[in-house]
Amino acid sequence: MLPISISGFTVATHTLINPSHRSIDKALIGRMDEFLGALDDQAMAAYLANTVFLERSRFSKHPDGVTAKERDRIEGLARALTQGPVAMRKAAGRLVRAYSREIHNRFSDVSFSTAMRLAPAALTRLLSPADSGSRIWPEADGADRVVVSGPIDKIRALAEHHTLIIAPTHVSNLDSLLVGYALHLAGLPACTYGAGLNLFSNPVMGFLMSKLGAYTVDRRKGHRLYKDVLKAYSTELIGRGAHSLFYPGGTRSRSGCVETALKRGLLGTGIVAWQEGLAEEAPSPEVLVVPVTLSCSLVLEAETLIEDALSADGGARYIISDDEFSRPSTVLKFAQQLIALDTSVVVRFGAPMDTLGNPVDEQGLSMDGDGRVFDRRLYVTDRCGKAVEDTQRDREYTNHLAKALLGAYQRDTVVLPTHLAAFVGWHALGVRFPRLDTYNRALLAPFEQWVDRSVMVAGIAAAADAVDAAVLRGRCRSMLPTGKNRATEILTMAVDAFSGVHTRQVLSFEDWRVLVDPKLSLYYGNRLSGLLSPKDIQMEENP
Amino acid sequence: MKVGIIGGGGWGKALATLIASAGHQPRIGFRGSRPSGFPGTPNLEALASESDLLFLAVPSEAVVDAVEACSLDAASRLIIASRGLEPRHGVWISDYVSDHTPCRQIGAIAGPALASEVMAGHPTALVAASPFEAVQEATVSALHSARCRVYTTDDLCGVQLAGAMVGALAIAVGVADGVDFGIGAKGVIITRGIAEASRLGDAIGADARTFSGLAGVGDLVSCASSPLHPGFAAGRSLAEGGAVSSHIILQLRALLALSRRVGVDLPLTTAVLAIATGESRPKRVFDELMRRAARPE
Repeated sequence: MLPISISGFTVATHTLINPSHRSIDKALIGRMDEFLGALDDQAMAAYLANTVFLERSRFSKHPDGVTAKERDRIEGLARALTQGPVAMRKAAGRLVRAYSREIHNRFSDVSFSTAMRLAPAALTRLLSPADSGSRIWPEADGADRVVVSGPIDKIRALAEHHTLIIAPTHVSNLDSLLVGYALHLAGLPACTYGAGLNLFSNPVMGFLMSKLGAYTVDRRKGHRLYKDVLKAYSTELIGRGAHSLFYPGGTRSRSGCVETALKRGLLGTGIVAWQEGLAEEAPSPEVLVVPVTLSCSLVLEAETLIEDALSADGGARYIISDDEFSRPSTVLKFAQQLIALDTSVVVRFGAPMDTLGNPVDEQGLSMDGDGRVFDRRLYVTDRCGKAVEDTQRDREYTNHLAKALLGAYQRDTVVLPTHLAAFVGWHALGVRFPRLDTYNRALLAPFEQWVDRSVMVAGIAAAADAVDAAVLRGRCRSMLPTGKNRATEILTMAVDAFSGVHTRQVLSFEDWRVLVDPKLSLYYGNRLSGLLSPKDIQMEENP
Repeated sequence: MKVGIIGGGGWGKALATLIASAGHQPRIGFRGSRPSGFPGTPNLEALASESDLLFLAVPSEAVVDAVEACSLDAASRLIIASRGLEPRHGVWISDYVSDHTPCRQIGAIAGPALASEVMAGHPTALVAASPFEAVQEATVSALHSARCRVYTTDDLCGVQLAGAMVGALAIAVGVADGVDFGIGAKGVIITRGIAEASRLGDAIGADARTFSGLAGVGDLVSCASSPLHPGFAAGRSLAEGGAVSSHIILQLRALLALSRRVGVDLPLTTAVLAIATGESRPKRVFDELMRRAARPE
């Protein structure tokens, strides 16, 4: 584990490439023209009809927040569909320009560079103890709030000559700030990233994010044209050497589980940008991917997220705009709680990989599973070095990358006391009520929500041993206390950490019992699903 | 198209015959004696780097050495023509190649093509599986001719599983033939065997339709009808009190280990292993299978 000192640290030797409106507009329109030009009139009509249909459906289902301009653009496109190919292509061009501005509109050269100078220092003050604002300790010390670990030196060196795609797990809307802060602590360059339009519902966070390199992603727009513009935008930025951050999971984990499936859309833009760079013989065409695993003791939006995961209409609420994150006072209170913890968040930078998921060495050269270096350009060129375009092949390559990322997320997840105690609490309720399924267990009445304290301690002891075994097998990481009474210590740490964070207590002591909130214990315990099973907790049924 | 074949045995030569019929010039990479009647080379690394498409046609127990000798690179396109799992690691051959080499464009072929019948010029058909469309197309181009129809699928996992399961079930059919259980028993083994393969396939993400195609039913029916099939011959030998090679036992164990990992019961494959290891006699094993509780089909 790498201790990092930020004393005297100067931000980013890397120059973040921040294209102007005009330049990015031009590039995007060029890309989309090329794409649309390759479609015949019939395919083009079907492609645009999909846009009209999905946008009209959205307008009628969720009329709030739809502007008159948006409606006009889509109705204009609908009319053009009946007026022949020339009108159709013109209307499509107008829509591409509008989307290009919408995605890019929060970027401003001046405010971005100012924010890049000021924001890290502000975040350092926010997330560091008052008497040590300029230090971060190694994780073994356990005294720091944000632990940053992983092969940082290697990633920092690679960032000099490679464009990085930072690919974190996604837990909370605070993640972008957290990762930005971790990048700063680690001395890694700043990234540009896509942030959902809904994240801007909190005015303070929205302002900070937009100034920290966020471009806007409107996830309500599900049609292909918008997604293609977004992908073209991402490809363009990576191609220009802008380090980028994507959440391959697509959205925050609703259940609390570590990601088990990834979205391929933006992730696939890395391999496209790399190939374009090779074909154009760009000076630094190489693109690498860095998995980042966030392990948080507490999650601000836990209550809303688990409700959403459990509710039957989870799909309709896919984009939550009214969660804890949208209330500034709640965020502030949560930040204060977080700062009071010894270790609140572990940000683990994983081993860098190429755009197919192969590990890379110190120079960024790809290695096979046995550690032998090979020429990765042959994945996309013939043996004479001529580029071979094949979008289906690239999609499949991206599947390989996704598989490698999922493996890294599981291996680099750090088990924290809150996860372990919540896991045991949830399953201890299962032992008390063996006939209840997940949903009915989550709906236990308040007077039923308890577990014998000694049962909890025994369960935590067994689960902690199982975690130790998993760590030895390289299946995860852990930051659990050691020693004779560690089960009691883990339980106490978790109860203290959860105290007053959410509107309901996740775990709390009451005489000889531990009160367990079923939904929240399910949420926090889910971080260990796939790693531990109820069999690992050898508990007796409560009397 | 330059097509290489690793493996100069019967199946390698049969593939070379099909490739030549499709209008290409195959080269066989061999170890030991040079296969007669075909252009070949003992330099597997050179063959791999010079081929646009490379077929791996060695017994599964020889896969690790062959793959090592080929030094596959990121441009290699490899088609697995070997049947079963890689027995030393207990993983699919495609996964072994992917885990130990840069090669990603991997496919597999399977189907009711017996080497001896191919060499005799009989018509046949194969299924070519790969998640990469370009690999599917290259395989069709290499093999499709008036003598061999080639169908495509993206279910690489399913086709490899079908190949492995057919290898095990062919032994069961051979045993049933050897103890003279009659044609009805073979029908039962084939249908229940396909159901067994489908259950395992479902658990590991394969497409159930693969097992009703050439790689599943097609291959198994041809095995059950031909004493020339090595699995069938091994089953008959067991029924007559003979022994089978340790490679077959390793394959069966690898399949059962996989099924346990994903929590699927494989009664027929378990029975075949019990017979192959001598743990139980054929008639007794079949008797136990018949006494299992009744259940919906």
